[in-house]
Amino acid sequence: MQATSPARPRPASNFELYSWFFMRISAIVLFVLAVFHLVYMHLVIGLDAITFEVIAERWQSAGWRLFDLFLLVFGWIHGANGMRVVLDDYIHPQGWKVFVKSILYVVTFVLIVLGAYIIFTFRM
Amino acid sequence: MMAAITNLFRAVTYRGQEGQIAWMLHRIAGVGVFVFLAGHIFDIFLMAFGPDVFDALLFFYHQFFFKLLIIFGLYLGVLYHALNGIRIVIIDFWPGMAKYQARLWRIQLGIFVLAYIPSATIMLSRMFDGS
Repeated sequence: MQATSPARPRPASNFELYSWFFMRISAIVLFVLAVFHLVYMHLVIGLDAITFEVIAERWQSAGWRLFDLFLLVFGWIHGANGMRVVLDDYIHPQGWKVFVKSILYVVTFVLIVLGAYIIFTFRM
Repeated sequence: MMAAITNLFRAVTYRGQEGQIAWMLHRIAGVGVFVFLAGHIFDIFLMAFGPDVFDALLFFYHQFFFKLLIIFGLYLGVLYHALNGIRIVIIDFWPGMAKYQARLWRIQLGIFVLAYIPSATIMLSRMFDGS
């Protein structure tokens, strides 16, 4: 009879370690980008003032396009990875887990492609 | 269903104190922002279809109820999740701080109130100014 539980087996890959590290780094990046984005759009510009015209003008600048690209990639990948962890916590049957996560990964691919497409190709 | 009720009962009666509440709010806010973000990336993609399509969609954003949801849902959730996330980063990268996690959470709530109340008040007052 062991007094303590046996040591946890060494994980087969370092994926969860990289995932943990990515969440911390992207958290710091998003703390600046996402909070600034919300405050700028809702306090400086104001929801009612945002139109097609305003965003079209914003995308005249490469800097804003880059800002939006960072928001898209860091924001969604951080969110999707967080959702992966949440799904692991609540969905136990293996089949359902694979099914729901597959949907998550497809949605992730589609949204990153759509978002990057419009940021890179938008012309007035 | 029974399992869900049992879990809910456990969640309410488990006395995890600050850490448990901080974690719960972090998760609820995270999932909420995730759902909003999916819609938001898609609606910005609609810029590809020109001003008529895009501005038609904005009618949704200009609804009274939607604005309330932004102030008391999205903005509140992002701000809490962001501040609590920084607390987690501090504790993870500086393990000595783990001892003070509950105190850090109270400081974090103080910062949250100081940042949220004035900015949310401005957003709310704008709703009634029509500006």
